[in-house]
Amino acid sequence: MQILWTPEMIAFFLISLAILACAVMLLSFQKVIYMALAIGGVFIGCAALYILLGAEFVGISQVLIYAGAITILLMFAIMLTNHEAVEPEARWTVRRVFSALGCLALAAVLWFVIRSVQWPQGDAATDINQGHPNAVAIGLMLFKTYTIPFELVSLLLIVALVGAVILARPPKEGE
Amino acid sequence: MFRYWNGYVYVVIFMLLGVLLPLAALWVLGPLLRPNRPTAGKLTTYESGVEPIGDAHVRYNARYYLFALLFVIFDVETLFLYPWAASYHQMGRFALVEMLLFIFMLAIGLVYAWRKKVLEWT
Repeated sequence: MQILWTPEMIAFFLISLAILACAVMLLSFQKVIYMALAIGGVFIGCAALYILLGAEFVGISQVLIYAGAITILLMFAIMLTNHEAVEPEARWTVRRVFSALGCLALAAVLWFVIRSVQWPQGDAATDINQGHPNAVAIGLMLFKTYTIPFELVSLLLIVALVGAVILARPPKEGE
Repeated sequence: MFRYWNGYVYVVIFMLLGVLLPLAALWVLGPLLRPNRPTAGKLTTYESGVEPIGDAHVRYNARYYLFALLFVIFDVETLFLYPWAASYHQMGRFALVEMLLFIFMLAIGLVYAWRKKVLEWT
């Protein structure tokens, strides 16, 4: 397999390296708060990967929602729980062997799927962006074609908000 | 295509500057410039001028979790503002009405949370 060393390729390798490093840190840290920081790193790396693939809007939403909100949510969850106990070292070597086998099988399946997939080649006629930048095209689609689903999203968000308030509100006196 | 990617070179340069400037200021220039005379009082953790009590790793009240949940919901709302703002000039008045409706719906949610006394600190 020939690898073309374009700037994009170099950026891809650097970003992948950063993501993998953060993922390994996530798995190997002992303290949960460090794990939350590492998962934030993974999210930011994924955002960089999306931007590299030309999907800026997905990248921005990854930073805003995942690296921003979800990581904060994880931090809060960690702060709210007691986690002084350190997990004991995993000693089941049989389990480790089987998990290694499972990982290898998954990697093999992914490899064959990636190798066999045929990506459709886009051209000017099938360009769904119609020459607009991504965010503009998404906006046009969202606010012209899919108006009702967009307004329903606000309903969904309000349901989530009310549910969160009801679930997480501390019980009143005498309740 | 190539010119488009060149824009991200500036992004990378600014990211590097953003990381390197504080590092240079705090780790390289700072120790050279500032006097270093530590005393026991100076080395204690700053806690609003009060003597620090116990560990920083305490459990927080569960009600603060609600702030995080509300933040996630309004963060999702903000995300929808971005494509709206980017494509506003191609759409005109109708899009404004749509977004006002969207924000109005979420404002109802905010008012609900307010009325339920979720936003209070005590």
